[in-house]
Amino acid sequence: MELILAIFIGILYAGGVYLVLRRSIVKVILGIFVLANATNLIIFLAGGIKRSGEAFIAEGTESVDLATISDPLPQALILTAIVISLGIAAYILALKYKYFEVTETHDLDQLSKTDQK
Amino acid sequence: MSLLPLLIIVPFTFIILALFIHNVKIKNALSLVLGLANLALAFYILISVNNAEIIKTQMGSWPAPFGITLVADRFSAFMISISAIVFLSVTIYSIQSIDKERLKNNYFLFTYGILMGVNGSFIAGDIFNLYVWFEVMLMSSFILISFGGEKAQLEGSIKYLILNLISSFFFVAGIGILYGKMGSLNLADLALKFSQIGDFPSLFEPSLILLFVGFAIKGALFPFFFWLPASYHTPPPAVSALFAGLLTKVGIYSLIRIYTLFLHHYDYFWNPIILWMGILSMVIGVITATSQFDFRKILSFHIISQVGYVVIGLAFYTISGLAAAIFFLGHNMLSKTNTFLVAGWVHREKGTLNLKDLGDMFNKHTLWGILFFISAFSLAGLPPLSGFAGKYLIIKAGIENNQVFVAMVALFVGLFTLFSMTKIWIEVFWKNTKNEKGNNEQKIKSNGLPYKYMITGSIILALSIIVMGVGAKPIVEFCETAATDLLNYQKYINFVLG
Repeated sequence: MELILAIFIGILYAGGVYLVLRRSIVKVILGIFVLANATNLIIFLAGGIKRSGEAFIAEGTESVDLATISDPLPQALILTAIVISLGIAAYILALKYKYFEVTETHDLDQLSKTDQK
Repeated sequence: MSLLPLLIIVPFTFIILALFIHNVKIKNALSLVLGLANLALAFYILISVNNAEIIKTQMGSWPAPFGITLVADRFSAFMISISAIVFLSVTIYSIQSIDKERLKNNYFLFTYGILMGVNGSFIAGDIFNLYVWFEVMLMSSFILISFGGEKAQLEGSIKYLILNLISSFFFVAGIGILYGKMGSLNLADLALKFSQIGDFPSLFEPSLILLFVGFAIKGALFPFFFWLPASYHTPPPAVSALFAGLLTKVGIYSLIRIYTLFLHHYDYFWNPIILWMGILSMVIGVITATSQFDFRKILSFHIISQVGYVVIGLAFYTISGLAAAIFFLGHNMLSKTNTFLVAGWVHREKGTLNLKDLGDMFNKHTLWGILFFISAFSLAGLPPLSGFAGKYLIIKAGIENNQVFVAMVALFVGLFTLFSMTKIWIEVFWKNTKNEKGNNEQKIKSNGLPYKYMITGSIILALSIIVMGVGAKPIVEFCETAATDLLNYQKYINFVLG
């Protein structure tokens, strides 16, 4: 399972980098989303993946066997990271919309107006 | 009960209140009051840290490696105080400099968002918490840089946004892998675990490299600085002043923090890399600046060059080197912001920042000329201003550390900085605007707008620069104690976990 997920993350990163390097701004933004999700999966993978129960200490007992539970912290981290990337996704799409309204172009090469010749 | 959470609560109060207040004047007054409150709080924390060495708060009273720690040592408290000064002066400046439309649409809400992120990053004792504060700061800065929606701004903000998001991905992927390896997120706990490992399996530990690259992009170090000069000259001047003063410095702060806590175990690998990145940032930043003819673009390239100074101070990894780095960070925040503030006034007065079109500003407004002189020549390192002490400390640390070559490069770069600053000085303030055809005068005539608040903000910074230069001794001593604390990372671990 870990190997499959690792390969999958690798493919996501490759796809994300490919999209970020494209000339169209929309594709760059899509690339950012793919990279964000690949990064979330890395945290998930690094936390360890196994089929196991909830991380609760049952009522009446003092401790719990660590082998039977999965680490809840990486999942909490991913939740935070997903929320942040959702906010950023909303903002970046709005920015793209406004940019298209002002300049009517999707081309990254048109972004050199403010550079000094 | 320490007052550390207030550093986050004060800006957050403003953010909540600003949503309910619609009157621009009340909003401005409130932003001033809370800016002052933040300054007072920062100095209170500085004093209490100076007495108690380190203070901490455990959020929700969960003990250290489990709950979120807020911790301030001398280095954090110093950065918090300097950023509070910068923030207050930019707030005073913005009240007049930013146009009514932006002020009405809650401009200050987002500057306070930046303040909250910056304060939070400086006191974060938990690496994921640090990431969250980075995001708070970045989201506010994304909005501020595109606020108003002018064409140039939108261009700059797309570049800024995409490259900064990529740096966030580096950072958060690094955190994920680090957590998988070490099983902790608390900085002190991580430092403890790293110190127990002894020899590390591989030098090219991916998580540390990812973290380092993330911070290097945020801090605009040599191969990663391209987002900065492409975007900092596009937003309104007050915004670029705030960014120049606060944002890159947070990246460098985090780099120093993780370096002194755990990267230094592998200093044989990291030291040469950091040193050379610093040297190349210094040299390349200053040389590219000489070819620019836009006021703010020259200053943006100088940010890169100055960050290099801080980083070589870190790479020496001695008390004198770190003390120099801390002092230089503080000095640079003040001087750099003030040069941007003067640039904002020139822009307001003349409507352009192209050096070729400007001139003769000194005769018209002597006080602004003097303010620029103080901050620009402080950047160039002229005594008795703060830059002199900063550069002197870096060069001294280099020579003490047997890195005479680095010290020579730093001196050489100082010469180029002086060249750039003299160029701005001559082109903007000194040169006569001779109009052979007679119509040049009309094209860029002075607007003669009021600038009472703007100049107040700038004067506060200029006075701080002079105080930091003339009264350098106690501040340098404070930085040296701060550096000693940073080197003695065991104390940090014991305090946070104990």
